Amino acid sequence: MRLPDSPAVAARAIRNRKERMLPGTLLSFTIITHPPKGFSDRPHRIGLIELSDGQRVLGALTGIGEPVIGQVVLPRMHLSRVNEAGLRLYDIAYEMTERIAQPKIEMQKFPGYILAFTGPSGVGKTTVSLLLTKMLGDFTAKVPIVTSRAPKDGDDQEYEYVSQKEFDRLEKSDALVAWTHLPSDSEQRCYGYRKSDIETIWEQGKLPVVVTEMHLLRSLAAHFGRRSILSFGLLPPGASKRTMLSHLLHRMRARGRETDAQIEERLINAQADLDFFTRASHLFDHILVNEDLDSVLQVIKGHVLALSEA
Amino acid sequence: MQKDISLIGIGQTKFGEWWSKSLPALIEEATDAAIASAPCSALDIDFIVVANMLGEAMSGQAHLGAIASSLLPHRPPAVRVEAACASGSIAMHTACALLESGRAETVLVVGAEKMTDSSSDEIASALMGAADSEKDAPSGLTFPGIFGLIAKRYMYDFNLTRERLNLVSARHHANAVNNPFAQFRQQMTPQQIGASTIVADPLRLLDCSPVSDGAAACLLSTKHRSDIRIAGSQTSTDTVSITDRPIITSFGATKDATQRALDEANISTSDIAHLELHDCFSIAALIALEDLGFAEPGEGIQWYEQEQSMTVNQSGGLKACGHPVAATGIKQIIDVSKQLQASGRRYGLAHNFGGAGATCCVHILHHSPEHATT
Repeated sequence: MRLPDSPAVAARAIRNRKERMLPGTLLSFTIITHPPKGFSDRPHRIGLIELSDGQRVLGALTGIGEPVIGQVVLPRMHLSRVNEAGLRLYDIAYEMTERIAQPKIEMQKFPGYILAFTGPSGVGKTTVSLLLTKMLGDFTAKVPIVTSRAPKDGDDQEYEYVSQKEFDRLEKSDALVAWTHLPSDSEQRCYGYRKSDIETIWEQGKLPVVVTEMHLLRSLAAHFGRRSILSFGLLPPGASKRTMLSHLLHRMRARGRETDAQIEERLINAQADLDFFTRASHLFDHILVNEDLDSVLQVIKGHVLALSEA
Repeated sequence: MQKDISLIGIGQTKFGEWWSKSLPALIEEATDAAIASAPCSALDIDFIVVANMLGEAMSGQAHLGAIASSLLPHRPPAVRVEAACASGSIAMHTACALLESGRAETVLVVGAEKMTDSSSDEIASALMGAADSEKDAPSGLTFPGIFGLIAKRYMYDFNLTRERLNLVSARHHANAVNNPFAQFRQQMTPQQIGASTIVADPLRLLDCSPVSDGAAACLLSTKHRSDIRIAGSQTSTDTVSITDRPIITSFGATKDATQRALDEANISTSDIAHLELHDCFSIAALIALEDLGFAEPGEGIQWYEQEQSMTVNQSGGLKACGHPVAATGIKQIIDVSKQLQASGRRYGLAHNFGGAGATCCVHILHHSPEHATT
C-alpha cells in the first residue's frame, strides 16, 4: 500500500487546497522520528490545526523552534514529498509564528469562553459573582441554573424552576449543555445549564458566568472543552480542612437559607468539594481563598478584563 | 442479547514473530485449538466469520472466508469482516447477529494477522488504511503520529507528566510475564519506558504496541452451553479522521458502545471484575478507562498508580501480549473468559477499537458455573 496519488486524487487535493489556505491555531502537534517513504528523512513535525474558518486540518509545520499549542500558524506552499515516480509534490505546510493565539470568540467552534466559579456551599460564590456582574455588567452576564427542585426562601434570582418532567425533556432533547442530579435525602435536586442561555450571552458579546459545582464543571469542560473555561476555585479561609469546614458551617448558619438537616448534608458535600480541588486540579486555572472579598474581586476582574480585551 | 449465546471453545497461537507460518497456517492453528477445547466436533460449526485487516497488503491474500472454510472437512459457509484494529470484535459481533437471527447455531470466529513479513515502512503505510486516506495521510502522518497528537493534547489539557504515563506500559509488561501466549514476557521498569526511543513525540517505542503475527479463535453456540455467556455485544462508530472531531482526548464511540453494552447486560461498571482494554498506545489505555466510565476525564492514570479490585489488561494488553491487528478483539474475549474462570467472579468486559476510536466494539461476558448445565 502507498499514499494515494493518482491524477484524480491529486486533482481533488488541489481543489481543496484553496480552502486550507488560511491562518490557524495549533491544537496539537507531534514529531515523527521516521516519516513515511518519500518525505524528508529528518524528523517530521505535523500539526492538528484549527483554521480561522473553524475547519480542522493536518499539515506539516515549518519554522524554527519547538511548536507550542495555541501558536498562530500561517499557510505556505512547501515541498511535501517525492512520489515513487520521482515527482516532487507540493502541499500546504503551516509556518509557526511567534504569536500565541489570543482567545478570540469567533474563532472557536464553540464560540467563546465561560467564567466558572466552583466551591463548597457557603464559600461565597454567589456573592462574588453578583458583585462581579455589578462591577463588570458590560462584559459579563450570569447563566441561570435550571433546576427541578422547589423554590425556597433565601434563593436569589439565580434559579429557574421547572418541573422534573420538563427537566427530563430538556435533557433528552439536548437542550442542556451540562446537568447533574445531586442525590439527597431531603429533596429531589436536578441542576443544569441551558445551551440557549449561554449562546444568547455570547451573541450579546458578553462572557457567561456560571456559579457551579464539581459535576457541572466537569460536564461543561467535557462539552465546551477545558480551555474554553476560565475556571476559579473558591476556598474558604482556614489553614486546615477542619477550619475551612467550620468556617462554612458558620456562614451557612448565618445566612439562614437552609434547615439544620440540609446544612449537615451540605457540609458532607463540602468535604467532597474540598477534596475535588486537589484531585481535579487540572479543572482549575486559579484557586482563590475567599478571605478578603475585595482582593478576590480585584484578581478576578483583572482576568476578565484581560480576556475581554482579547 | 436476543439468544442465549455460550462461548464453548477458545484457542490462539502465541503472538510474536512467526517467520515459518503463513496466514492460513496461523488461522488453522488457532481454529484447531478452539475446536479441541469445545464440547462438540468440528462438524457442528455451521458458519465461519473471519477477521482480518491486512491480508491483501501484507500477504497478497484476500478471500480469507473460503480459506478458513477449506480447513474444515464439511466447508461451512464463511464471511470475512474488516474494521481495522476492531476487526476481531466486529467478527464476534457479526457472529452474535448470525446466532441471534437463527441463521447459525454454532459459529467459528477466527481473527488472524501476518505482519512481520514486511518492512516497517510497508506496515506503517498499510496501517494508515485505518485512518482517512485523503484528510490524514497526505500530511505524512503515521498511526503513532495520530496518537502522538492525541497524547500531546491530553498531556496539555490534563497536565499528565511523562513519569506518570510510563506506568501504563510498565504495568502491561509486568502482567504479560504470566501469559504464555504473550509476545513480550519481560518486566520493564517505568524508567526504561521513559528512556526508549521517540517514535512520535511524545510517544516512545515502549508506549506503542508491537508489530505481531498471530491468530485467535472462539466458538460461539446457541446449541451447546458453557459457563461463559455473552451478556452484551455492542458497536458504535465515529468520524474516521480526527480533523472532524471537536475533541480528540475522548472517543465518543467507546462511550456509546459501552453504555449500550452495559444496558444490554443490565449491569453497571461496578460489576466488572476483569477488563481487557485496547491499549494500542499507552495514552489510549487512559482514554479508554475514562470513556468506559471507570475514571473521570484526566484521571485514568490513577488505575495504574494504585492496586484496584478490577484487573486491567491482565494478559499484558496489546502492548506486551502483542497486537496482530484482527486477532486482538478475539484474544481479548479469550483472556476475559479465562480470567473469570480463574477468579470465579461474574462479569468481564472486552474493549476493542479500530483507527483512532472510529469503530468501537464492547463485549460483556457473564460467568456462571450453573449456566453450563441448566
